[in-house]
Amino acid sequence: MPAVRAEKLYKVFGKRASRAVELLSDGRHRDEIRQLNVTAAVIDVSFEVRAGEIFVVMGLSGSGKSTLIRMLNGLLEPTSGTVEIDGTDITRLSGAALRQVRSRKISMVFQHFALFPHRSVLENAAYGLEVRGVPREERLEKARHSLGLVGLAGWEDRLPQQLSGGMQQRVGLARALAADTDIILMDEAFSALDPLIRRDMQTQLLELQASLGKTIVFITHDLNEAMRLGDRICVLRDGRVAQIGTAEEILNDPANDYVAQFVEDVDRTRVLTASSVMEPPIPVIDPGHGPRTALRTMRENQTVSAFVVRRNRQLVGAVREDAIGEAVRTGATDLAGLVDTAVERVHPDTAVADLFHQAAESPYPLAVVDDDGRLVGVIPRVTLLAALAPPSTESPEPAESPEAPESPEPAESPEDADQATSPPASGALAGSDEGSRQ
Amino acid sequence: MTAATMLAPLEITLPKAPVGAWFEAAITWVQLTFKPAFDAIGEVIGASVDTLAGLLTEPSAAQLTVLAAAIVAFGLVRRGRPRPAALAVAVWLVLAVAEGAAGVAALAIQNLPAPLFLWAMGLFGADYVDPQLVLALLLLAALVATSLAATRSAAQWRLAGGSSAALLALFVAQHILGVQPALLVMLLFTALALAVAGWRLAVFALLGFLLIISMDKWEAAMSSLALILVATAVAVVISVPIGILAAYNDRASRVVKPVLDFMQTLPAFVYLIPAISFFGVGQVPGIIATVIFAMPPGVRLTELGIRQVDKELIEAGEAFGAPDLQILRRIQLPLALATIMAGVNQVIMLSLSMVVIAGMVGAGGLGNDVYTGIARSDVALGFEGGIAVVVLAIFLDRLTGAVTRFSPAARAQRAAR
Ligand SMILES: Nc1ncnc2c1ncn2[C@@H]1O[C@H](COP(=O)(O)OP(=O)(O)OP(=O)(O)O)[C@@H](O)[C@H]1O
Ligand SMILES: [Mg+2]
Repeated sequence: MPAVRAEKLYKVFGKRASRAVELLSDGRHRDEIRQLNVTAAVIDVSFEVRAGEIFVVMGLSGSGKSTLIRMLNGLLEPTSGTVEIDGTDITRLSGAALRQVRSRKISMVFQHFALFPHRSVLENAAYGLEVRGVPREERLEKARHSLGLVGLAGWEDRLPQQLSGGMQQRVGLARALAADTDIILMDEAFSALDPLIRRDMQTQLLELQASLGKTIVFITHDLNEAMRLGDRICVLRDGRVAQIGTAEEILNDPANDYVAQFVEDVDRTRVLTASSVMEPPIPVIDPGHGPRTALRTMRENQTVSAFVVRRNRQLVGAVREDAIGEAVRTGATDLAGLVDTAVERVHPDTAVADLFHQAAESPYPLAVVDDDGRLVGVIPRVTLLAALAPPSTESPEPAESPEAPESPEPAESPEDADQATSPPASGALAGSDEGSRQ
Repeated sequence: MTAATMLAPLEITLPKAPVGAWFEAAITWVQLTFKPAFDAIGEVIGASVDTLAGLLTEPSAAQLTVLAAAIVAFGLVRRGRPRPAALAVAVWLVLAVAEGAAGVAALAIQNLPAPLFLWAMGLFGADYVDPQLVLALLLLAALVATSLAATRSAAQWRLAGGSSAALLALFVAQHILGVQPALLVMLLFTALALAVAGWRLAVFALLGFLLIISMDKWEAAMSSLALILVATAVAVVISVPIGILAAYNDRASRVVKPVLDFMQTLPAFVYLIPAISFFGVGQVPGIIATVIFAMPPGVRLTELGIRQVDKELIEAGEAFGAPDLQILRRIQLPLALATIMAGVNQVIMLSLSMVVIAGMVGAGGLGNDVYTGIARSDVALGFEGGIAVVVLAIFLDRLTGAVTRFSPAARAQRAAR
């Protein structure tokens, strides 16, 4: 069961909202229904957020991100569609039941922190538990713990205004963590911070999420942030879903020109990982075979080297054509002594940016090896270079024009839904400088 | 000769709208229908003003004791022990009312052949050992005992000890040394000013109230002060909830605004007419007219204060599942308190300005002096009354202004600097 499920969500502001929904579901653009005097903020949005993932909603200003996230905890009521939290449709809940869901299942971090200026940092962090009626000592203890998690131990008795912006947002994060909900909504939580602090906060969020396993819905208008944080990303355009997918899918396979243009100037090497650029490991050589077979395999595939892999795909090493040819001439009968075991191995989640150095050192293609030592792919240097270039866009049409001959948007939604339910990519993207996230 | 000049002047006679007559009829109807209600309200307000004026001009020992007890109880509430304090106060209230109505405590005391009681009567004179004082002393003793037993806060101990000692000092000064009550009350005001607003206001209070006493305006001033305080209390009790309602509900706000404009712009005298016909002549109609005239800023600033609270903070409360009432109490009201207090300050100032007008309907006090001064062209009398009003005004203004600094939002703002 997904942690959060949104199904055909619409939010239209204005009196004639339901008429507007009818028109919109017929595929009209939101600018076409302006004469109804309504603002369509969210149009036909469906997605699922799996427990424990960071789901990023990205879009330009006014694309409906805030409206969407506020429907997820019932701060705004959808004009139509449903929102399920752990399988409960919260759009049907009454006031008290809805408050129950908010205090037990979903907490929220705000763009401008929204800390209570008249309460100490500690009391701010304890707020969620206070609302829930947890006794004072107990809730302060938990708040102290979560302030410790975000690195604010020792600041408990200050007032929020006495802290810097980054620290204030840590208090906001601690408040959400202390509430002890499985789901955390973050609306542009880092957008008000300056770039260095922002990067710090992203790193910290990734670490916290890895250790606490929260489900996070994160909103941003910054593509790099989206790529860095998101297990999956939902790109919103004018209230509609433009594409949902992993960072690699969105980079390598943009659903339309809009997304393609959007991702054009992303630092691809930081987003793409070894697993997304690697090629199938052909040919491979069984360590039990003799030099002759090995030489023939290499000649057939026109390569000068090959990896030696056991039956269970465990990587043993690599062999070179010239060494094998020599061995065949001298009449050797097995590969003993010919296998070079010092090949460069990389993890599938390593960022492409971190591969260049190793690739330059190694005479062989890079061997992509998973946690169990199995060879899952190879990365020749040529492939690495090719990965730097953005995928060529066939259509010369400018992406901005709404009349662009991209597939009409309603037709997109089934496809989006497909993507939403497809299994996660083998590895989450690597974004942090430290390399792999796991 | 043009055609126009030849025409007879066109006179359109509008029927005379009997607005005044309608109003009068409405007043009469309301007066007849709700007479018991008006009588009861008048009774309560009159009694509170009398009590307060009595406390301010010539505080009885029992009243002073209750005051000291209230300070200790307040300390207990602030230090997280509201329950024992409330219990003690509730028991005392029941006994005090029972005594007032049926003389229960007097009976009990008379049946006590207590040597202590006789000794006290001998010391202070039988007048001062009234049953209410005994009850009040019991209340104070209970609260002090609770402070010592149930809290571990040295500040609360000091508060309890200090209040008791101050009370004792007042008793000694008043009943043994024979100092005038006016001077004692003046000293209390000075101490209050010192505690809340600092030494400048304390000096001002000392000099200002000395001036009032020496102009022989003390009783009039205290009577007016009592009127102002009761009017302010009533106005706040009515206006803050209305302000909250208006902040929550745009439609209510749209209805309330013009009504407030009307209330504020209608000449204040006009309120006196129906007020007199409902409540008769005296302090009560003066207070009612004052309440109506002084209420609008209370409503407006409450609404403003609550609407001013950052929307994201309310949203944060909602996002964590807080019910509306809790958001109001724990987020909106604390953050709006400074603005609401500014409204209360305005209410007090407007009440002060009504003092003179209320004097016209026999509310007494400084208003009476000023009014008589005008009526008799007695410049000296009128001016002295005016000066006393100004002293009261400055004192109350600075005092409420200083209270604002204690509000949570103001504290937060200071922290930001
Ligand atoms: N309460 C409201 N009444 C009317 N229109 C609204 C309301 N709230 C949002 N809108 C409109 O809905 C659209 C989407 O707004 P939303 O705040 O969801 O965008 P956003 O993606 O969060 O933008 P930003 O990055 O600027 O925060 C905007 O055109 C906005 O004007
Ligand atoms: Mg937004």
